[in-house]
Amino acid sequence: MKKKILSIVSLVLIAVVAVSVFAACGNNNADTTKKLTMATNAAFPPYEYKDGDDFAGIDVEIAGKLAEKLGMELEIIDTEFGSIVGGVETGKYDMGMAGMTVTEERLKSVNFSTSYAKGVQSVIVLENSEYKSYEDFYTGYDADGDPTGVIEGLKIGVQQDTTGDIYSSDVPKKWGFGEESVIRYKTGADAVSALVAGKVTAVIIDNEPAKSYVAANEGLKILDTTYVEEDYAICVAKENTELLENINKALAELTADGTIPAIIEKYIPSK
Amino acid sequence: MQKFTEFADELRFVFVESDRWKWLIEGLGNTLKITAVSLIIGIVIGIVIASIRSSFDKNQETMKKRGGVGYNLLSALNSISKVYLWVIRGTPVVVQLLILYFIILQSVSNGVAVAMVCFGLNSGAYVAEIFRSGIMSVDEGQFEAGRSLGFNYLQTMRHIIIPQAFKTVLPTLCNEFIVLIKETSIAGYVGIMDLTKAGDLIRGRTFKAFLPLIAVALIYLALVTVLTWATGKLERRLRRNER
Amino acid sequence: MSANIIEVQGLKKHYNDGTVKALNGIDCTIRRGEVVVIIGPSGCGKSTFLRSLNLLELPTEGSITFEGQVITNPKTDINRHRQKMGMVFQQFNLFNNLNIIDNITLAPIKLLKMSKEDAEKKAMELLERIGLADKAQVYPQQLSGGQKQRVAIVRALAMEPDVMLFDEPTSALDPEMVGEVLEVMRDLARGGMTMVVVTHEMGFAREVGTRVIFMNEGQICEEGRPDDIFDYPQSDRLKDFLSKII
Repeated sequence: MKKKILSIVSLVLIAVVAVSVFAACGNNNADTTKKLTMATNAAFPPYEYKDGDDFAGIDVEIAGKLAEKLGMELEIIDTEFGSIVGGVETGKYDMGMAGMTVTEERLKSVNFSTSYAKGVQSVIVLENSEYKSYEDFYTGYDADGDPTGVIEGLKIGVQQDTTGDIYSSDVPKKWGFGEESVIRYKTGADAVSALVAGKVTAVIIDNEPAKSYVAANEGLKILDTTYVEEDYAICVAKENTELLENINKALAELTADGTIPAIIEKYIPSK
Repeated sequence: MQKFTEFADELRFVFVESDRWKWLIEGLGNTLKITAVSLIIGIVIGIVIASIRSSFDKNQETMKKRGGVGYNLLSALNSISKVYLWVIRGTPVVVQLLILYFIILQSVSNGVAVAMVCFGLNSGAYVAEIFRSGIMSVDEGQFEAGRSLGFNYLQTMRHIIIPQAFKTVLPTLCNEFIVLIKETSIAGYVGIMDLTKAGDLIRGRTFKAFLPLIAVALIYLALVTVLTWATGKLERRLRRNER
Repeated sequence: MSANIIEVQGLKKHYNDGTVKALNGIDCTIRRGEVVVIIGPSGCGKSTFLRSLNLLELPTEGSITFEGQVITNPKTDINRHRQKMGMVFQQFNLFNNLNIIDNITLAPIKLLKMSKEDAEKKAMELLERIGLADKAQVYPQQLSGGQKQRVAIVRALAMEPDVMLFDEPTSALDPEMVGEVLEVMRDLARGGMTMVVVTHEMGFAREVGTRVIFMNEGQICEEGRPDDIFDYPQSDRLKDFLSKII
């Protein structure tokens, strides 16, 4: 008799646990109370930054509209850029949105939505710099037209783990500048400070923050030739396909009705 | 078994692929270089500052009476030392590092060198106070005995007081070095590839947190273990001399 | 060579801006070969006086002349003169970081530039004399109080001083060890060493001393040959002092 009661109790317990686990996993379930957690690195104007106590920027506003469409409540979590993909992969966050471009390595861990904005990696140098283009950093090219080496003492400042970092760190053959030429800083501001202090030859960073930095610091300029052009997208855990589909659908709608272009225009006026 | 192959795969992905383990080696090298050099700088500064401070305390009376340049010089050095201790101990080392890197040592493009100076200066302040407390803990009679034989102040310090003070402060000094090794982990703030930064970078590239962080933690642990063991051995040897 | 080895004139030592007067005007001359014993009640300034002789205490006023040099003059290199003034402390003050032989040879090697072999040979002779040759390699912590004090005496002797200052050398000793230390001092006196001894050992003062100085309240109250001082005290203070200790 006792045994029977015990087994019934445990069955009930298992059922309760199972239901709550399923409920917790069901992010795609568009309940009005459901939270949509977005991991970002709020030090990347104009895409995401802190405005007083609030978050602001293109990504933040688009995410707000997105959550509205999905009928979810948006929660923004500010973390290091390098921790975003890992956090999304393990389910700590529902999605990552931080001016993030799609790369092969990132695709191994997470899926990406369709692109919602274009990112450009620009090269900042001192105003009196002799360099006209990042191509001046290479010493020569092989038969395929790929670079064979970089000038001596070249130091490229980047923000750690950003697209600029990843591309710059590659070998010259693949249009990078090599590990030993790259100095990685915690923030873009640190990289720019290092450039002003004369510690690095150039800073490679997204065009939009680059413009802000050049405006804020005297004696800097952005080279006309951009380094890389990339599409920004939202990352979602691989198994969370339903959320990804919903996001893609919502992004398409928001682009079609002019919401997203308006947000981008607000932060980056085309004129 | 499957778990094991999964783990092996992850291990390979995190460390072997793209030769990412090389970052750890480079980082470890820089951490060791920075620690070793700043240790030496710290000890030298510590000895100098502790000497100035305790000389001033011990010779104030004599020198004031004699007057002249010597007293004024020592008094000025003592004041400078106090300001140094005040500033260094009153601000976070990461702020000091940023100030040195971006402002004071702007023209030095070698980040590792800047870090060596920074951690050396920082450690020097703490070592100075450790040494001073050690010097103060040696019985005044030892000092008087040295002076009564005809040793001057510095000779007395060198031959009699410092060796005894050193033995007293060794455990505290060891502790300071352990703190120093770990403190160098903020070198990444100014773009230096130290051990922590190497782990950070692997984490950023692989999007795996567990293995890189654990690997870095284990390496630090090994370093500190070796240091603790070595100073323990030195301590025992010094003690054996007396019994 | 002058017969006077130390001349003290108008020596004063004040603490706390003059509110405490440890020494209040002392004039005293010590001649070569003398064994001067300083006695007096505690707090009378006898230790301060002794420690002033090699400037471990810095006088507030007055002058001290050692072998013709005014050592209270700030320009005098006191370290050079201290080499010729051996001192023995109440608390022995052997160097804890050095073994016995190194305690004795450190100063001769570093200050007199004696070779290590010569210094050690001499140190061993001195240790033989006090019967502690077998302790050459041990550290001070392993010695008894009496042994430590005997080593402290030969450590000072190794510098071949012209005068030896003793600051209550037996006060910190267990009673059964007082004898061995006094014996070494007696030997020293017999050998003609000039000595200034602050002590409570009246027997030693009477037997070995050539002159006894009785100090009271920072001044020399009475002085003379030991027999006169002990058998025919003049001042009431000395009579009172002697009545209490004998």
